Amino acid sequence: MKTIKILGSGCANCKKLEAVAREAATSAGIEADFVKVTDMKAMMAYDLLSTPGLVIDDKLVSSGRIPTQAEVRQWLAV
Amino acid sequence: MDTFLHLMNGGAGNLAAYLAAHVLLCLVPAFFIAGAMAALIPKPSITRWLGRNAPYRVSYPAAAAAGSLLAVCSCTIVPLFAGIYKKGAGLGPAITFLFFAPAGNILALAYTGSILGAEFAFARFVLSLFFGIGIGLTMAVLFWRDDASHDAQTDTLFAEQADIGAPAIGVLLSLIAVLIAGTLKLWPLTATLGTVTLPLPWAEAWQAILFAWVPFDAAKGEEGVNLQGSLLILLLVLIGLSAWKGLENIVEGANRWTWLALGLAAATLLVAAMRLTPGPAGLELALTGRVVAVGLAMAAVLHHARRLDADAWRAWLWEAWRFVKQIFVLLVVGVFVVGIVRQLIQPDWIQNLAGRNDLLANAVAVVFGVFMYFPTLVEVPVAHMFLDLGMHRGPLLAYLMADPELSLQSILMVAAVIGRPKTFTYVALVALFSIVAGLAYGAWVDGADRAWIVGGLGAFVAVLMAALSWLLWRRAIPAQV
Repeated sequence: MKTIKILGSGCANCKKLEAVAREAATSAGIEADFVKVTDMKAMMAYDLLSTPGLVIDDKLVSSGRIPTQAEVRQWLAV
Repeated sequence: MDTFLHLMNGGAGNLAAYLAAHVLLCLVPAFFIAGAMAALIPKPSITRWLGRNAPYRVSYPAAAAAGSLLAVCSCTIVPLFAGIYKKGAGLGPAITFLFFAPAGNILALAYTGSILGAEFAFARFVLSLFFGIGIGLTMAVLFWRDDASHDAQTDTLFAEQADIGAPAIGVLLSLIAVLIAGTLKLWPLTATLGTVTLPLPWAEAWQAILFAWVPFDAAKGEEGVNLQGSLLILLLVLIGLSAWKGLENIVEGANRWTWLALGLAAATLLVAAMRLTPGPAGLELALTGRVVAVGLAMAAVLHHARRLDADAWRAWLWEAWRFVKQIFVLLVVGVFVVGIVRQLIQPDWIQNLAGRNDLLANAVAVVFGVFMYFPTLVEVPVAHMFLDLGMHRGPLLAYLMADPELSLQSILMVAAVIGRPKTFTYVALVALFSIVAGLAYGAWVDGADRAWIVGGLGAFVAVLMAALSWLLWRRAIPAQV
């Protein structure tokens, strides 16, 4: 069971990122818990300069862009 | 019922006129540029100058550059603002960044320039830059104690280095060339190189129908929709439809719709650069210097874009499309509403309140700007409406400085990051400085002694910098003991 956090205030990129991450998890057959982080202070705990940020098991794997499904699957497989 | 129809007609007319006339040659390239900036300029190439140890001669200009190049939407503005404040260069540069971002970004500049004139866009840019740095310095001077004690943990956030790749620079420069070629009203661009008459006998009748549908009063500054405009609106709708299918999933790769959308966008820019005049014989097509210039610039964009790697150009198109989705819809609604409101406002009201460049007029404009919240870029058509109704350009600039910089939303966001006392100080400073900016630009427009205005503004920033140097120097003494 992985925990996937989406950091972002709810802008278009964050929604897109969540969709990509969900599809990647489903297609890889990995069960994951999705958490949306919208609070600025909670976000700043991870070192990022722009949203959306993707956090898998408390590790920031990407920020400021939308990764492809293949990339997310790779990060999930680790 | 009649009034209602009249108002709806005002809104629709305004919208049609905007879409047909202004939007295309400036906003289409501007959205692509904004997308390219968001996707192709690596953030560390600028943020590395914003670290904790950067001297303020570097960090303030870098903060302004970040506002202008990196921050086109709140997704970037908020985290970067919090990051610069808490882990980077501190309060002053963070405030400069926050203030400058809404006025200094490419979409705001291009849109302001095409609707209110290049000179006005330039004044907005220069004065926002000036006062953005001024407000940042003032905040740093006022709250220097707090700044000294900020977040002491070491941080690698601003240490990363990166450079912009050559193809990305090529794409950005050639996109800017498209924008300039499309909007400047200068000689080689406006010259007619040749004309062709297409045998379309219905062209003149169609234009007459359009003028009947969207009646306009040129004396009130209204614009109608001509035949070319209707063609452009049609192309715009087609781009929207194909982009929906072609760009929504661009991150996973391009499809046929993607190329269709891009081809249509290019065709639209070329059509917009031509001059189409319906006459009794048919439709006269005038090939202008602008067509050639826009065509060459777009060829340059294509040439450089082919050298980008797949991830980069996909990210670029996605960001451009995202800006369109995020901003364009609100802009369309906003322009429609502005068209309605315009029918309700008597020019006398505006002329009495803000027809002159004095303290009261500028203050009224700023208060209006602070309390009204318009979505990104809608402040520009609102300003255009005020200008047509007789507002002086000085108060108009004061309004444009205050409106996008301050809104309830941004005040709450700033308060969450820096706390209430600093936020209130910031709000007061923005109001004050916007009034000063309005008065200065108004005096400039009215023909006051220009050396005096420039000198006064320069002296003002010099005093602030001296004050900050003195504080930094004083602060450095106990640390060494």
